Amino acid sequence: MKQQDPIVFVIDDDRLIRDGLQSLIRSVGLHVETFASAQDFLGAKRPDTPACLVLDVRMPGLSGLDLQLMLRDEGIPIPIIFITGHGDIPMSVRAMKEGAHEFLTKPVRGQDLLDAVQKALASDRALRQEHREGNEIRARFESLTPREKEVLELVVAGLLNKQIGDQLGMSELTVKTHRAHVMEKTQAESLAHLVRMSEKLKTATRK
Amino acid sequence: MQIDTVATAKHILFRYGLAIGLIFLALLVSLALQNSFGNPFWFFFSAAVILSTWFGGTGPGWLAVICSTLAVMYYFTPPLRSLAVSPRDLPYFVTFVACEIGVTRLIFWRRRTEDSLRQARDELELRVAERTAELKNANDALVRQMAEQRRTEETLQATRSELARAARITTIGELTASIAHEVNQPLAAVVANADACVAWLSREKPDLAEARSAAERATQGATRASEVIARIRSLITRATPEKSSVQINRVIEQTVALAEGQAARNHAAIKLELSPNLPIVVGDSIQLQQVILNLVVNGIEAMTSVTDRPKLLTLRTEPENKGHIRVLVQDSGIGLTEEVKGRLFEPFFTTRTKGMGMGLSISRSIIEAHGGRLWAETNGRGGATFQFTLPSEDSPAA
Repeated sequence: MKQQDPIVFVIDDDRLIRDGLQSLIRSVGLHVETFASAQDFLGAKRPDTPACLVLDVRMPGLSGLDLQLMLRDEGIPIPIIFITGHGDIPMSVRAMKEGAHEFLTKPVRGQDLLDAVQKALASDRALRQEHREGNEIRARFESLTPREKEVLELVVAGLLNKQIGDQLGMSELTVKTHRAHVMEKTQAESLAHLVRMSEKLKTATRK
Repeated sequence: MQIDTVATAKHILFRYGLAIGLIFLALLVSLALQNSFGNPFWFFFSAAVILSTWFGGTGPGWLAVICSTLAVMYYFTPPLRSLAVSPRDLPYFVTFVACEIGVTRLIFWRRRTEDSLRQARDELELRVAERTAELKNANDALVRQMAEQRRTEETLQATRSELARAARITTIGELTASIAHEVNQPLAAVVANADACVAWLSREKPDLAEARSAAERATQGATRASEVIARIRSLITRATPEKSSVQINRVIEQTVALAEGQAARNHAAIKLELSPNLPIVVGDSIQLQQVILNLVVNGIEAMTSVTDRPKLLTLRTEPENKGHIRVLVQDSGIGLTEEVKGRLFEPFFTTRTKGMGMGLSISRSIIEAHGGRLWAETNGRGGATFQFTLPSEDSPAA
């Protein structure tokens, strides 16, 4: 899989700040896109790459916190670095509770912002990786036959082949064959690996 | 008291004594002149009765009448040397007695009238003196009151200007958050751009073009910060009213720049509809800025609870007749009830929990001091319009 170029979105209604932040982030070789308002950002097309959002809390129209909630509701898990003029505690608490990645106060030190951006991109990258892995595992598990899925359930539950055979009304040999297919189709390297993948999938589905 | 009684007794004795003495004198003179002039007693007794009544009063008067009657009966009416009167002389005698009685009564009335006149005059003089004293007292009191009132007015004036300043500071206090934002914003721009500039210069191959544009933006930010501070300073400084030529549109633009932060915080939009053909007004631009700021902040506050329509504050300027100009501040807020409208410009009247209620009262006095008028109206579609007029440089009232 090809590593895509990460992108940083900067949303601030103040042109000088917007351009300054953009220049700063570009200076470390990252790709930056700027928006003057939250609405502009929502209207723009976003490429499917690791990304993060540098967002001014206080803006005319849709505020930074409003945008955060809208993105959450739409299931867009992009990490957000908030920038605020005066970081009052209730506001930052609310933002962090809703999963803000970082909360920086103006004027922001350049290095702090760059560190926060790198961390946010790394976290988004990891999240996407995990997401992709989850999708792959799901695809592999989806390829199992209903019978194989039944066997998988019981294997993961820790039952022996003989017990599985008794429970499903099949011979121990048939169970072994199904089990081998399961290991092969899910690309599990060991029983432990299979259990881990199965758990991961269950957690992801529950989410 | 004793002395008074004695004095009164002496006075009475003197009056009756005078009457008797006068009658006696009249008798002697009449007797002496009887042979040469016939009946001169007519005049002398009449004179004695007149004088007795005049100086002695009614009692001595009567005494003189009785004595003169007796004397005339005894000495001058036949039969002489007896108290009888011959029937032939009776009409003559009765006429005499009647004349004496008439004289004493006339004189007595005359005297009484004169006395009461004198008394009235004395009383009048007394009352005039009393009234003069009263008037003088009243005058003194008035002078004192006026001095006191002047002192009170001076104190009041001092208090009022102190209040005006306090209210201005309160208005500024309400704006502090947005002013902090106003200053911090360009500073944040300076820091971001300066950091970017350093970053471009620190690269292995420094990018001078990027560094330069970042440095230029930093300069712009710093300039903007200093402008904000200058605006705030001009608002806070307690400048004595200074009349100069003012372009009201310019004042409005400067003021709105100060309130934009607060408007953004309340999700309110400010729209300017400024007429380009306005005459210059003469006034204190700082005070006018204070009035406009007050109206703008009030407008924004009035719209905080509005949810069913856009929060829009419109500032409009237009020329008026007679060379006046008119400034309108129109909001889409909660509007004004009749009760609120009536009391709006009263000092210390406020509908807010935090406000002092001095803003509009001070604003009105500023506008009136400029020869204009400030009033409020309810909009048709909800919200309120505050408007004021100002005479221009060349209008007759300026």
